Amino acid sequence: MSAVATQHDHAHVGTHDESHAHDHAHHSVSFIRKYIFSTDHKTIAKQFLATSMFFLLVGGAFALFIRWQLAYPGEPIPLVGKWLPDSLVSNGAVQPGFYTQLVTMHATVMIFFVIIPMATGAFANFCIPLMIGTDDMAMPTVNMVSFWLVPIAGLTIMSGFFVEGGTAAAGWTNYPPLSASGTGHMLWVIGVFLVGFSSILGGMNYLATTLNKRAKGMRMFDMPLTVWALFITSILQVLGTPVLASAMSLLFVDQVFHAGIFIPENLLTANGGLYPSGANVGAGGGGQPVLWQHLFWFYSHPAVYIMIVPIMGVVSDILATFARKAIFGYKAMVFAIMAIAFLGFVVWGHHMFLSGMSPLLGTTFMLSTIVIAVPSSIKIFNWLGTVWKGNIHFTTPNLNALGFISTFVCGGLSGVFMAIGPIDVYIHDTYFIVAHIHYVLFGGSLFGIFAGMYYWYPKMFGKMYNETLGKFHFFLTFITFNLCFFPMHMIGVGGHMRRIYDPYVYEFLKPFQPINQFITIFAIAMGFAQLILIFNLLWSLKFGRKAPRNPWRANTLEWAAPAHPGHGNFDRDITVYRGPYEFASPESKRDYLPQWIRPAHIEQETAVAEKH
Amino acid sequence: MFDFSWNMLTYFPPGISTYSEAHDDLFRLVYWISAAIFLLVQLTLVVFIFRYRARPGHKSIYYHGNNVVEFVWTLAPTVLFAGLGLYSDEMWKVMKYSSRIPTPDMEIDVVGQAFNWHVRYPGGDGILGKRHARYRSAQNLFGIDPTDSHGKDDIVMTGEFNLPINKNVVVHLSSVDVLHSYFLPNFRIKQDAVPGSWIEVWHNGTKSGKYELACAELCGSGHYAMRAVLNMQSDADFAKWMEGKITAKKAVLAAEAANPQPVAPAPAEAAAPAGEHHGSSH
Repeated sequence: MSAVATQHDHAHVGTHDESHAHDHAHHSVSFIRKYIFSTDHKTIAKQFLATSMFFLLVGGAFALFIRWQLAYPGEPIPLVGKWLPDSLVSNGAVQPGFYTQLVTMHATVMIFFVIIPMATGAFANFCIPLMIGTDDMAMPTVNMVSFWLVPIAGLTIMSGFFVEGGTAAAGWTNYPPLSASGTGHMLWVIGVFLVGFSSILGGMNYLATTLNKRAKGMRMFDMPLTVWALFITSILQVLGTPVLASAMSLLFVDQVFHAGIFIPENLLTANGGLYPSGANVGAGGGGQPVLWQHLFWFYSHPAVYIMIVPIMGVVSDILATFARKAIFGYKAMVFAIMAIAFLGFVVWGHHMFLSGMSPLLGTTFMLSTIVIAVPSSIKIFNWLGTVWKGNIHFTTPNLNALGFISTFVCGGLSGVFMAIGPIDVYIHDTYFIVAHIHYVLFGGSLFGIFAGMYYWYPKMFGKMYNETLGKFHFFLTFITFNLCFFPMHMIGVGGHMRRIYDPYVYEFLKPFQPINQFITIFAIAMGFAQLILIFNLLWSLKFGRKAPRNPWRANTLEWAAPAHPGHGNFDRDITVYRGPYEFASPESKRDYLPQWIRPAHIEQETAVAEKH
Repeated sequence: MFDFSWNMLTYFPPGISTYSEAHDDLFRLVYWISAAIFLLVQLTLVVFIFRYRARPGHKSIYYHGNNVVEFVWTLAPTVLFAGLGLYSDEMWKVMKYSSRIPTPDMEIDVVGQAFNWHVRYPGGDGILGKRHARYRSAQNLFGIDPTDSHGKDDIVMTGEFNLPINKNVVVHLSSVDVLHSYFLPNFRIKQDAVPGSWIEVWHNGTKSGKYELACAELCGSGHYAMRAVLNMQSDADFAKWMEGKITAKKAVLAAEAANPQPVAPAPAEAAAPAGEHHGSSH
């Protein structure tokens, strides 16, 4: 293996000498170079995965604190309440200031440190080089930097908990003027800026790799949908994230130098004094808070697609593999992803129906937004078409992928409500939105991430995960998820605002406390169900059955690599002869036909591959 | 255990504005369309999962798709959703287009301040005094122009206010510090209060009673408690209430006139460059 890998490395520029040294001095590669500052895309993918799993637990804990307060306001948080400092809790119960920090940090952590690094960092890193049949990313060092920015950014934001005034507390959307002062908000801005650069660097790398390093014979339309989805997501990252970075920079200038970019003239502060702002000099001018919203959502709406589009690709591949059937309308799927990505850039205003922007713009954004339902529908119909007349195997990855479709349909439809301006006027900033975002990002992205984690676990670690535990984890999560998030639609229609510490100061919200308690019980159950996942992943590392090369009898190139591929990935030359979804092809006696099998030797080569 | 229904439509708080009925109808329409699509897709998924499950002797087919089908299921949602969007636009125009705001029977100013709502009525002369941000201070939240006589008798209320039923009320909405959002659940209206801008909202309540005004945009740790009460009154009751307020304000003004004291030096101070004022601290 090592000889072939060396040849491979020689064929590529850049890492020349380094790879040489790697292979020849295999045992002397230091622990630090191998596991910490690694440039191997698979190690980096695992680093992203481990970091995101850690943050998933942190963000999940925040969510449970929030849920506890909504269900039992003013009562001490069980188990942990008494360990938290008095600046956050009183007698173990969440304080209002801590509550706003919690809602802010829950979303920040889940979006910037769980879903985005998981969907793009972990999956793009692991899948792109393997699925296009190459040895590594186009720019391995840039790749390493892209990962290390994430923990640095995470620490920066988390350090906000230890500064005076506490961490950021203006919501993950961080609207000024509320976010224009305070050390916690500054740290938040710096952290998001850094994690944004991780995204930009990653995106560039994924684009360069996909365009330049595909295996011999692989055309763009021979790429699996996972790679297509990640490719298009990378375009979103590279075009959208710089706008986020510029917004962060401008807000930072406001925070530090009181430039008044987002701060209008003669603004009062909480203690009744005037806001220290450049805008206060002279009577004219003044900043505009709504400008922030435009800049922020110009990135953050595409960001929603950065979080879901890669997952759509992953789910497509998993569904096809376990239905033993080609993707229904492969090209339509690619074009639908492109349409979603394009439309994603022209709909940001639907987050701002109530911001006071011109209602004429509201009409435009309403129509462009509702049109996104079209490519989304195409995807759902094509997924249904894929399982139609298939031969569906209910493995854990496939259960999660089917769960994804079921919940994504619900999240997509609730999106139609808020796309319609006059309805959004009422449900905006209520729990209806909270329900929607969780159906899309938990029910959608996270189920898809679970699916992908189980699906590629054998290739990632060379071991099989425990199928029984996997199924148990899926069913428990799926049931508790729906019982937790579906009732949020109801209280949202009831007018229950989001981000409120104690809903029951309002007469009209008092009847919803039992529903909030119901939601909280299932939120806690769902939170603890994730321990099964973590146990399964860790336990199987040591005690899992040794994985074969192609455990799912799938067609894509990653399964041509050894069961636990080393640096350089492949132990043979890879040439692509056909598309990624030749399941049940009449050319083969088997129900699958991998991309790398030579047309003249189908039976013989597939049989050999199965023995590994 | 408690009142719980899977039908979302039963959760609306009672609607009491002229457009709450139309709003709820539109919501209902979208709800039933969505529910139908939801059930259809979920049912199809379940049927496929059952029918095409792997079992001995069962095989999948070799099939890559069909362009006619793709065309149909692209066209159908396009027509449905674009139609829904165009249909809803009328309601949007009614609520939001300034050209569609009906002739106001009454105009008031509302500003949000963490964590209170302040309301300004035109007072005895029926005219709201001019305002500008440069006059704003902690004592003059609305930034009322001290040189405009119409502003002198304006009445300011905090946390609780009254409005007459069956009247088109135009609210000029703003904020003195951070973003807030003016949310009257029973009226089905919500609008962000943006510091530095005055945004017009209109509503017409048709039923008397006490209703809650909530803040729907995170505005700090006290956000949850930024609640005000709106008393909707019959014309006669409202007139009586307003009369009382005007009389009380007149008495205050008379007392001030008798004892001439610069009550509000703030406007002049606020007009001075405040950036300089605070510059020393940095």
